[in-house]
Amino acid sequence: MKKIFCFSVIICALIFLAGCNPNDQYAIEKEYWWLQRQISRIFKNPNASPPSELERAVDKLQKFSDKHPKTGLGVESEFNIARLYIVKQEYEKARTYLKSLMDKYKESKAMLSELLFMLGNSYEIEDKWSQALEQYKQILREYPLTLRGFNVPIYIAQHYKAKYQPDKMVAAYQEAIGHYRKLAAENAESPLGFKAKALVAQTYIFLSDWQNAVTALQETIEKYKDKISMDGLMMDMALIYHRELKDKVKARETLEKLLAEYPDSQLVKTATAFLKELDKK
Amino acid sequence: MSSPKTSAPSIKRVFNTTVKSLKNNPAVFVPFLSFLIIELIALVMIFLAPRMPFRLVLGPAIRTFWGERFMHYPLNFLLLPKLASLSKMVAAVIFSSLLTGMAVAIVSDIYHKKQLRLGASFKSACKKYINLFAVVLTFTLLFYFSMKLLTVGLMRYFLAGNSRLLFLGIGAWMGPVLMAINFALAILIQSAFAYAIPLLIIDNEKLIRAMLRSILLFKKLFFQTLGIVGLPMLIAVPFIILQYKSAFLIDRLFPESVLLLLFVSSIVSSLIIDALITVSTTVLYLMNKENQ
Repeated sequence: MKKIFCFSVIICALIFLAGCNPNDQYAIEKEYWWLQRQISRIFKNPNASPPSELERAVDKLQKFSDKHPKTGLGVESEFNIARLYIVKQEYEKARTYLKSLMDKYKESKAMLSELLFMLGNSYEIEDKWSQALEQYKQILREYPLTLRGFNVPIYIAQHYKAKYQPDKMVAAYQEAIGHYRKLAAENAESPLGFKAKALVAQTYIFLSDWQNAVTALQETIEKYKDKISMDGLMMDMALIYHRELKDKVKARETLEKLLAEYPDSQLVKTATAFLKELDKK
Repeated sequence: MSSPKTSAPSIKRVFNTTVKSLKNNPAVFVPFLSFLIIELIALVMIFLAPRMPFRLVLGPAIRTFWGERFMHYPLNFLLLPKLASLSKMVAAVIFSSLLTGMAVAIVSDIYHKKQLRLGASFKSACKKYINLFAVVLTFTLLFYFSMKLLTVGLMRYFLAGNSRLLFLGIGAWMGPVLMAINFALAILIQSAFAYAIPLLIIDNEKLIRAMLRSILLFKKLFFQTLGIVGLPMLIAVPFIILQYKSAFLIDRLFPESVLLLLFVSSIVSSLIIDALITVSTTVLYLMNKENQ
């Protein structure tokens, strides 16, 4: 009986301890979720929400960010302030706020690239594409090796695609290929070089330029096969050979190479099934 | 020609005796209340899994089997029903086996109009703990693996490229249909082993013989057993549906509503459903024995 009592006391104490720490990651996530729930009303229907609601939401988000300055959610809440201004069409306020954040995070290239991207978004939503493009190009010039920097060239091309401007889209993809090739050459010996090379192939795929896509994939595989597992890229190549270039022989060769070089890969089952499918046809 | 005395007792008669026993002898609830407390402690611990100090113990398992995202608010509430069901299975094998044995001993005393002695009932269950453990483990594993087999079978069928099975798509099969089959399976398996614990406690049967005789008795009292096991389990249906719709609850109400639901569901399941099933199957077993 004494043992059961002691055990129950320990469990209760642990539960009390776990439930009472307001500054652990879980408590911060909970606080942020409830905050987000409140501001989601503005995001869902920005025109119906009065200015006072925006002010209150901004105030709460700012307080949250000040309370948890070095957490991911603290930063996310600052981005949400800018997003709120943008959906409420208060573009100048959004830009002023984003510029103040750029000052705050001037040491972090990743943050600066994200802030510039959102600045570009604010112009894009306001239908000022040339100014938006200026911001995106600035990311390419100053922060090309950040996550956002890698995505922006394709983002620009996809903007033209969405706006039904095929000539500009093709030009933007070609420009992206040039950009990625340059990055790949400059960072050939690092994982960034691999990423840039893989993006060259990806951009050719967007352009439906299948022959160049497989050439780019082949180049990437040759260059980095000793450093990173290439099973995924080989599977992509086999798919392109089979579905787009209708070259069964090459598709089979690539799959057999995948099975020979990566016998422990997660793609072995898929590759074997694919080979069987090729045999049937 | 069988006399009226040898005919099987009706479901109504069994339930009347069950309700009377529960009403006149609240002590019958002691084993079920004890299990409820264990279940609720386990539930609170898995709810606190993303927080210190519990994350040190439960965190690695959750990350490995379900992923890091379930260690964060509010996604941890999506996993909570699954974890609660697993923890209930483990607690049922370890503790409920013993406590159900105790409850059966109490009901037997009430039925035979003996004086109620909780300590003695507990002791008699403790003596049979290994056998009780084995019975509950057998039917829990049987239920768990039949459920898994069915789920994996359906997954494989649909992953093989089939879009329909008996006019229904993957959404219907993996959702409401699977839930209904699991429910029916739970009733069937529980019914088949319903008399194993009374046989162990009241008739001092050996383990394998108790399980086999339970299945034979289920065959003999098929509709009565299905009725007394299935009817109380119907109370669980709304809770099962709501647990399946955890994402909806999180989105429309608030994440903690899942925890609240699990609390209420545990209370109903331990104090009403389990109590009714255990007492009524024991009563039916005793009535049938008396008739013979």
